[in-house]
Amino acid sequence: MRFDHPGGFGGLAAVAVLVLLYLYDRRRRTIPVGNLFLWRRIESPPRERQRFRPDRLFWAQLAIVLALVTAYTAPVLESATPPAAGASLVLVLDVSASMQTREDDGSRFDEARRRALARVDAAGSDGEIMILTAAARPRVALDWTRDRARVRAALQALAPTDAPTDLAPAIELARGIAADRPSAAIAVFTDLPPEASGLAPEARAALDYVQLGRSDDNAGIAGIVVTTPPFHGPNETQVTIDVRNYSRTTREAVLEARVAGAPWARRSLTIAPRATEHVLLARPPGSGLLEVRLDGDDALAADDHARAWIGAAAPLDLLLVTDSPALADALASVATALVGSRIEVTSRQRFAAAPPAGRRVVLFDGFVPESVPPAVNALYTAPPAGNDVCPTVRRRGDAMVVDWDDDHPVLAGLGALQALAVGGAAELQATSWGTPIVIAVASDAAFPLLIVGERGARRTACLGAELGGSLGTSDRMPLLLLTLATLRWLAEPFGPEALLVETGRPALAGAGPTAPVTGAGLEIAGEPPVVVAERTGVFTLGPPGAARLVLANLFDDRESDVGRSGPAEWPATVRPPAGAAPAGGRPLAAWLYAAALTAMAGEWALWRRSQTRRYGSAPATGRADDGRG
Amino acid sequence: MSAATLRAAGGALDLADLPRFDGFTLHVRRGLGERPGERRFPGRRQASGVEIEAYSPYTPGDDLRYLDWSAMARLDQLLVRRFTAEREVRFHLLLDASASMDAPPADGKRAAAQALMVVLAYVGLAANDAVQVALLRGDAAVATSPVYRHRRGTLALAEMLAAADAAGSLRLDAACEDYARRRHEAGAALLVSDFMTDPAEVERAILALQARRFEVHLLHVIGASEIDPTGHFTRGLLVDVETGAAQPLTLTAAVAARYRTVLEAHLEALREVAARTRCTYARWTAGADLAAFVTVDLAHTGLVRRR
Repeated sequence: MRFDHPGGFGGLAAVAVLVLLYLYDRRRRTIPVGNLFLWRRIESPPRERQRFRPDRLFWAQLAIVLALVTAYTAPVLESATPPAAGASLVLVLDVSASMQTREDDGSRFDEARRRALARVDAAGSDGEIMILTAAARPRVALDWTRDRARVRAALQALAPTDAPTDLAPAIELARGIAADRPSAAIAVFTDLPPEASGLAPEARAALDYVQLGRSDDNAGIAGIVVTTPPFHGPNETQVTIDVRNYSRTTREAVLEARVAGAPWARRSLTIAPRATEHVLLARPPGSGLLEVRLDGDDALAADDHARAWIGAAAPLDLLLVTDSPALADALASVATALVGSRIEVTSRQRFAAAPPAGRRVVLFDGFVPESVPPAVNALYTAPPAGNDVCPTVRRRGDAMVVDWDDDHPVLAGLGALQALAVGGAAELQATSWGTPIVIAVASDAAFPLLIVGERGARRTACLGAELGGSLGTSDRMPLLLLTLATLRWLAEPFGPEALLVETGRPALAGAGPTAPVTGAGLEIAGEPPVVVAERTGVFTLGPPGAARLVLANLFDDRESDVGRSGPAEWPATVRPPAGAAPAGGRPLAAWLYAAALTAMAGEWALWRRSQTRRYGSAPATGRADDGRG
Repeated sequence: MSAATLRAAGGALDLADLPRFDGFTLHVRRGLGERPGERRFPGRRQASGVEIEAYSPYTPGDDLRYLDWSAMARLDQLLVRRFTAEREVRFHLLLDASASMDAPPADGKRAAAQALMVVLAYVGLAANDAVQVALLRGDAAVATSPVYRHRRGTLALAEMLAAADAAGSLRLDAACEDYARRRHEAGAALLVSDFMTDPAEVERAILALQARRFEVHLLHVIGASEIDPTGHFTRGLLVDVETGAAQPLTLTAAVAARYRTVLEAHLEALREVAARTRCTYARWTAGADLAAFVTVDLAHTGLVRRR
């Protein structure tokens, strides 16, 4: 709001004049009565006699004065007004999981939809409207249209997903789209506060930003870790479930776990405000789909149910290609310790002459063949220089592990890698197909020690360390564990393992069929294929008989921590220059003059009414005691 | 203001509606006049008439035409027939024409009182009674109309009332005493006023009229703002329109409640005065249904009856 003639506020002195006139009029106002003898028996309280108690006529006159004075200052409204009818409008609706949160009058998304519909109604019937949704990715829910019925139908068809929020890309998309349309406005409906939107303040200034939500009544499953020692069965499996209370009050909840439909465990939990309970479950009744459900009757249900996979026993079945009898003996002794394991040893020449048929995990010791059968997942240790799969720079001595990716499945359950000293190692180069998950450092540089990834639809790993014959000694136990963990990961696609994904986050689908997809809310695309889940749940990929499970969970503290400060609005303070009101705002003087005229009419009606009450009919103007200030 | 505009001013009467009162008459218990008329007063025997009421022994001087010869033949006594008195009743319609009847103007007390007077005059004249209207004013002598004895006189009375304004300060007792002293022929006095005065003054007025053998009826016309002033003002300087005296007042809820108490006490005092002096008392809020007041409320007091 600005005032082009601020000097006009001097006219507010008229308010003081009005008050003085009113006080004077009150003193001189006479009320004719037939006789005072009744009134003389009543004493009017002196304090009441002095108190300034204006009547409705005074307020009407005050409204006239204020309207006229304010109008004279030529106020211009620079913000907080919806665009004029005929302007384009982009609606951005947050459809992330937290919008499912239940409030007193429905979900947050229901409220967002109501607000959006109201905004559509206020926008008139001329302008075009576009609808974008924002969750993990922006999406155009409705392209530009003037058909209000389509807009309303599209809004009614929207529903919140189970994915996390990434509001900034959607708003940037909306700004890019709106930039092509003069006077287009952008209205955002979300439960995130503006400062958490990921936008700069100057970018937010062009938005009509509506924040919704208040309740923090939520407890959810924040994570599941299934730990099984390599090549062991479910009897050795331990599951750690993180249950977090996001509210500011202590919550009671019941956690139930089922494996392959069979009940496993049931725990009653009392969780302190903003605290996390770690529930450790051991010795599951079998392998298969692990479903964990938290029964707490909270405001957000999407994070009350999580899934994981407990693998069946998978003994080591390795084809070792080496020319080192010592290494063959060391791994054979390891296989002896693992019940049901099998190691087949072959030389480089024999492998080249008769490559294995079918699915196998192969360890190439210091050797990279020119070609590998398609169904082979391979671990290359101490790869030589000049190969294409695991390019190396040079050999290093006395390398030491300094960093690793805890979250990668290869390293799940492993710790204390900092104790891993590698005597000699090949300095690997980064590859396009893999991700370095273990970093080592030699005398003057850090380099990848272990790279894993998908290559040609099969899993591949490159380990720079030399295994050698001393692998079975206690000194090299960490390296042995790292090797076995890598071999286990390489063996996973050959078993009935499930693909664990988090909603909204892309994950490689891995080798195997990718169509058809059963279940709504899972998308798969790209090469190599990538899956993205917008809904939590259990999905299947591939035809019957060869289908793989995809288990999608919502493990996102930003979504589960649903507490907000309450509904609020931040109208746009900056409008696009083209098509906006003249001089950067909407002049209000005409409206105020109209309001003054209306107030004058009201004041006249009040005056007539008061005179009718006092005289039976309105007296001629100028009567001495007409009571007008 | 003409009689035709009585309706517009008071909102209470249209002269064309007067025939609806044809079936009513004004009833008095006393107020025997001197002129022969159609009203019979049982117990007031007279020497001539229509209805025989009693016999009395003949005394010299009695009209021999009323000697009952048959009784003399049977009883051997001279008996003279006595008849029920049949006289006219003169209704004195006394209107308080002081300035208070116009205050506050929105109440329309004066126009309402004028309308009431016209209706009462019509009812009286329609029953062949004599009606005389008097305007009691404080700043001038009492203005009286001729005595009318036919319903045609209603229009003349209405015009007289419509031309009257309200002015001056009136002492009701003095005005009534003066009026009674100047009237040789008594009758029924119908006193129409807002009675915004001391009840003792009202009582003195009644006694002054009764001393001259007037049968007195008090007809109280009260304004809406006098019953509930809260909707008419909140503060200001109350000015007595008759005396010019002023009193500042803020009409708070407590003050309004106190006023209602005082008003109730005043009205109760008026009723007590009426009971003590054996008058009838009826109160009518200006602007309310005039026909209902005349045919129901006044009928309950006995002033109006069906013929």
